[in-house]
Amino acid sequence: MQQFLNVTLTGLGQGAIYAAFALALVLIWRSTRIVNFAQGAMAMFTTYLALTVIEAGQSYWVGLIVALAGGLLMGAVVERLVIRPVEGGPELNAVIVTLGLFVAIQALAAILFGSTFKSFPAPFDLRGFTVGEVNIAFTPNSIYVILAVVVVMVALVALFRFTDLGLKMRAAAFSQEVSRLLGVRVGRMLTLGWALAAVVGSLAGLLIAGGSLVYPAYMDGVVVFGFVAATLGGLDSPGGAVVGGLSIGLLLSYVSGYLGSELVALAALAILVAVLLVRPQGIFAKAAARRV
Amino acid sequence: MIRRTGPLVAVAAAAALLLSACGAGGRPSEGTGGGDAAASDVGITTTSVKIGGHFPLTGVAAPGYSEIPTGMKAYFDYVNAAGGVNGRKIEFIYKDDAYNPTQTSQVVNELVLQEQVFAIMGGLGTPTHSAVLDYLNAEGVPDLFVSSGSLLWDQPTKNPQTFGWQPDYEVEAKIIGQYVSKNFPNAKVGLFLQDDDLGRDAEKGARTFLDKQIVAAERYTPGNTDVAPQIAALQAAGADLVIGFNVPSYTALSQLVSLRLNYKPQWMYSNIGADPTLVGSLLARFSEGKVTDAGLLEGMISTRYLPTVDDPQNPWIQLFQKVWDASGADGELSNFRVYGMSEAYTFVSALQAAGPNPTRKGIVEAIQKTGKSWKGPWLAPFRYSADRHAGISGVGVTRITGGKTERLTPVFVTDNGTAPITESTEPPSVPPASGIPEVAPAG
Repeated sequence: MQQFLNVTLTGLGQGAIYAAFALALVLIWRSTRIVNFAQGAMAMFTTYLALTVIEAGQSYWVGLIVALAGGLLMGAVVERLVIRPVEGGPELNAVIVTLGLFVAIQALAAILFGSTFKSFPAPFDLRGFTVGEVNIAFTPNSIYVILAVVVVMVALVALFRFTDLGLKMRAAAFSQEVSRLLGVRVGRMLTLGWALAAVVGSLAGLLIAGGSLVYPAYMDGVVVFGFVAATLGGLDSPGGAVVGGLSIGLLLSYVSGYLGSELVALAALAILVAVLLVRPQGIFAKAAARRV
Repeated sequence: MIRRTGPLVAVAAAAALLLSACGAGGRPSEGTGGGDAAASDVGITTTSVKIGGHFPLTGVAAPGYSEIPTGMKAYFDYVNAAGGVNGRKIEFIYKDDAYNPTQTSQVVNELVLQEQVFAIMGGLGTPTHSAVLDYLNAEGVPDLFVSSGSLLWDQPTKNPQTFGWQPDYEVEAKIIGQYVSKNFPNAKVGLFLQDDDLGRDAEKGARTFLDKQIVAAERYTPGNTDVAPQIAALQAAGADLVIGFNVPSYTALSQLVSLRLNYKPQWMYSNIGADPTLVGSLLARFSEGKVTDAGLLEGMISTRYLPTVDDPQNPWIQLFQKVWDASGADGELSNFRVYGMSEAYTFVSALQAAGPNPTRKGIVEAIQKTGKSWKGPWLAPFRYSADRHAGISGVGVTRITGGKTERLTPVFVTDNGTAPITESTEPPSVPPASGIPEVAPAG
């Protein structure tokens, strides 16, 4: 029972991180119709920025602000300089460009920050709670992680559903020509979408780094599992991304705890294939297929 | 309809990423290691010997282990400055394989075919070096002093070119096991194992003495940094003494997870994962008010088979300090650099034993003939002979107390299988005045 409880809670904590990452993927997908494989590398880069600030003696929160601001800027710059030239061509081009960007940023980080492991501080206590005799694998830091993800999800839903800006962003992504005719500044919307997604991605990077070790490739696993989570929830749905992330976190934790850690990557692949066979649009997607 | 291609492409790419995450052991392509007739063998000229190695300079195994080749290089430079071995300077090329077997195959191919090295020296890692074992033996390249304690390196009939170096995990685990059964006879023992030959060999050794005391054996996959499910399972099984056979970053990760789980067993870590300086530096940042104090490792039990840098009076450490200072490289002398220098010291001994005109065949025979008797910083002798290619034969048990390594037992010597464990009777060796071995040709 104790083990089940701990494996479950650990899975939830891990799932919250996958959810944050899936949210960033969903955000870019909704606002630009591109899946950004460089998301993890961008988040890793801003996490290193935060670490540099923290190592210089600033607090975690200053580091957090620097990372999020860095993410905002980086997202906008990447969209303007790297993605814009291939926009309008086949969609595969943009996807391949993001893959290339992923490799390039990772290499750049290794050059700038070194490839050794570094510990990243957590803003809250890393010791688990105990209730009587029972240990609970849940720390003040896990609560912070989950709260942060929930706040971001609510903010995103609110942005897309209740604001003019969200409507414009969705319109720009769906149909550039029609949006332009209706007076939407499509280029700006796309840049904004990338910038916001990079902020959410940066947050995910910081959340997973807190109280653990960082190195240039530390986001690789999160990218893969975050993608599975986004697919599971449906690439269009922020709520789906969160549910997908938590489910993947839990499932993989059970697989690792009860079946063996060597099966984790295989299990994620099986989930991905199963979802695509049974419900390719994702569990939470509303439209079966959108026809243009 | 154009828009529909987006998700498909994305999904295909994700599937490809996942497949690669599942891991694939690459096979080296066949090639011919051409010989250069002008010198005594490939990689040997009248003024140089070219050797190569593969090490994790990046990735999960890089902390600590990436310092090993820098120690080796510093020692070779020291020997070269004194004129080399028989007038030949040792040229050591090391490449990064990121602890990824597919990359190991690639960099070893480059070393053998492009660089035309005489031998592979100190190649690091069990999963990584396994990937090139058959290739090096098929090509007849001496595969000397693998930086791993797997039993795979001691198969002279199947792999005549390959030699182990450090105490194998079975021998180390046997000595740890005997120590636990004597000193913690009532402990419920949990094993925390890397899921490859490292963990399997260690489990075999540990079960020799502890079979009845072991309540759980949990395995982690290198690369997956979430070890919480494994540690939770050890806790659930009621283990109050955990023995870890893992790389150093996983020592830090297992300590962090235990903190979250409020799990406080007696920790023991195999020598390969227990460097207090390194693990302490990985954990240090969490100690700023968040973790009780920097003493997470206090009381941790491990083993030793080389002198350590916290013993500056040791003549070998004094020699290695001199070598390191002379190299002018960045950073401090660490236990990992001592390890690398000790391996380099062994290679210089082997090259001397191979005589004035070393050949690939000659150096293998020389190690088999006289390797057992070589003196060096190692605390127990090698087991090299015509039918054994096993390295150092024993370890002593130590404990971290106040940030220092405290000796709990003398050095024990044993062998694989049911061989008895005996106390080492050899007096501690001292380095020669020159700091360079003086091994006679095995001729």
